[in-house]
Amino acid sequence: MGKTISIIKMRKQENLIGYLFASPWLFGLIVLGFFPILMSFYFSFTNYNMVSAPKIIWFENYRILLTNDNLFWKSLGNTLYHVVIAVPLGIFVGLFLAFLLNSKIKGISIYRTLFYLPNVVSVVAMTLLWMWLFQPNFGLINQLLKPLYELFKMEPLGWYLDQDLSKLTLILMGLWTAGGSMVIYLAQMQDIPITLYESADIDGASWFKKMIHITLPLMTPSIFFNFIMGLIGSFQVFTIAYIMTGGGPSRSTYYYAYYLFDKMMNDNAMGMASAMAWILLVIVLIVTVFALRLNKYVFYLGEDS
Amino acid sequence: MKKFLSILLLGLLSLALYGCNDDTPTDRIEITFWHMSPVGSASFSDTRRIITEFNQSQDVYFVKGTGFSFWDYWDKIAVAISSRTAPDIGLSTIDDVPIRAEAGVLYNLSELIEADPDGIEIDQLYDSQLSFATYDGHLYALPFTATTRVLYYNLDMFTAAGLSADDVPTTWSELHTVAKQLDIVQGSSIQQLGFDPTYGNATYHGYLWQAGLDFFDEDLNPTLNTQGHIDVLQWMIDFNSEFTRSQLTAFGDANTMLGINPFAGERVAMMIEVDSLYQTIKEAGADFNFGVTSIPVPDDGGIRVNWGSGFSVEMYDNNKNTPDKKAGAWEFLKYLMSKDTQKDLSETNGWIMAHQGAMLEVAEGDAIMTRILEEVAYARDKVYVPYAPSWHGNDWQSYYNDALTGKKTAAQALADARANYLQKKANWEATR
Repeated sequence: MGKTISIIKMRKQENLIGYLFASPWLFGLIVLGFFPILMSFYFSFTNYNMVSAPKIIWFENYRILLTNDNLFWKSLGNTLYHVVIAVPLGIFVGLFLAFLLNSKIKGISIYRTLFYLPNVVSVVAMTLLWMWLFQPNFGLINQLLKPLYELFKMEPLGWYLDQDLSKLTLILMGLWTAGGSMVIYLAQMQDIPITLYESADIDGASWFKKMIHITLPLMTPSIFFNFIMGLIGSFQVFTIAYIMTGGGPSRSTYYYAYYLFDKMMNDNAMGMASAMAWILLVIVLIVTVFALRLNKYVFYLGEDS
Repeated sequence: MKKFLSILLLGLLSLALYGCNDDTPTDRIEITFWHMSPVGSASFSDTRRIITEFNQSQDVYFVKGTGFSFWDYWDKIAVAISSRTAPDIGLSTIDDVPIRAEAGVLYNLSELIEADPDGIEIDQLYDSQLSFATYDGHLYALPFTATTRVLYYNLDMFTAAGLSADDVPTTWSELHTVAKQLDIVQGSSIQQLGFDPTYGNATYHGYLWQAGLDFFDEDLNPTLNTQGHIDVLQWMIDFNSEFTRSQLTAFGDANTMLGINPFAGERVAMMIEVDSLYQTIKEAGADFNFGVTSIPVPDDGGIRVNWGSGFSVEMYDNNKNTPDKKAGAWEFLKYLMSKDTQKDLSETNGWIMAHQGAMLEVAEGDAIMTRILEEVAYARDKVYVPYAPSWHGNDWQSYYNDALTGKKTAAQALADARANYLQKKANWEATR
């Protein structure tokens, strides 16, 4: 009997110690995470200029944003453009790199490190670097493309200074960090049982057949993961535009998060900015719920289907 | 080992606590002051010296200064004001004083001045700046610094083109004639440009003011749809019409990425820039001859005016300050605005200070600085538009850009910009 009590006691004590160790994190979650989220929900129903006290105006912010704000739709459109192109392209390039680097040539770990390295660079530094590369007049990229321009007798591309190309330029630049997803693909690729390839070899399957019928299906979990993460991340695109283009030229890279930021910083409209944040949350939630339906096409190895 | 670790921890903790400790004498009333000279900045030690001199001058109050970098300062002060934890005295921007005065976070300085008439030399401050610090007939802030815009001209380039200082333009048509004589083109590439209205720190609203026009009327409704507005924008677009816009942008931007201004980089003969460019050129040790003058004005009835702004110095009312603290902040404010301190601050930070008498002494023997100071009297700050605080920046930039690149005609760009301001205004009013 005495023994049981002491075990219960010990369990309790253990729990307590567990909470104690988790307390800094719990504190952060509640005070720095949960509280601001709740406050922003409250602010979204107010007119709050960050100096005077918030004044409750109920759904006015939402009404204005959805029915009488041209920039809201423009910035949402820009963001959707970014999502629709950047997410699939990022997956494609990440997969492509993973295929390339999933071989047993000499020094492969060096190559893998090299492709992963851009992810270690801060986004700000990366963006500044690419600004130099893409600079239309003396940037390295246009210098390299010069023979092509001359061949086709065309004007050099304006990249981020050309409003028709600016969004694509930012997407292209973002591909530089595809190494991040590549690592995940690589890990999964190397998880695929070698026996599957061996039996395919015995059946005389070609490299291409093996890729289509073994590698790709077994990689769907990581593709799916990167797809969902990419989706959520792309909706929040901000930093690259803030540094490289300032939302321009002519608002062509004025993304949703950028408009949200301006509402707060330039218009002193914290209430409106909070409402934008909640609208974005709803949009991302809806898109993610739809994206999760693709789960039925994902093949999990070792699971009964 | 455990014991060693706990001793080490204790040691670190006490060190940290010691670090938090400042040397406020316990028998004095502490006044907090926020400025923009953080530890490590060039002006830090001089700012600290100025504060220390005040602390040594009397034994009732003790000012504790905290410096933030210019880039961080605005967020910090905004958050502190809204959370009612603002310092007793601090710096802010002068054009939006009314928004803070209306919110009741600033002390009414007119009352303090009335009770202590010799405290501040109000007549030494610029009227235009004081009007921006006034809300409902009372002063809620004092101008602390001033900025102005002038036309910089490169005398060596003038000489090379057979011109002299007498040819420095005063009107828009003279500006055009002289600028064209200073253009140097090789093949299709620009080697040197006389002037471009879009370069430097020139703004559309600055030119509008010179032509007697404005962005907004007295009720803050956007105007912008008159022929006069279109003409001014068209003049800017057409000034260098023999070059393409991308040529002009490329030429102007080439140095900017390196952090060099096209005028300081000796690529442009004349340029409108802020007063601090003079400081920059001086510090860079440039060896070319240059001068400054008023920005040329429209030929018929042009108005001598330039866009200038400045920091304000304000006393924050957190709704819980004791009368002692308020009195202490006032004492320190008087010290900051005194002629000697203003002079000291100008020499320390390279800023134009609001005190005219102090600045005259600073500029003594410096012809360019004296000329710049003359223009401060003609500086006008942008109006604060509550529904579009960034009306001259973000809200305007894309339309301006569309007009310059020819994506829209001047008339179309202005009409679209106006529609945007009107929509913002309607939305702002709906949330009031």
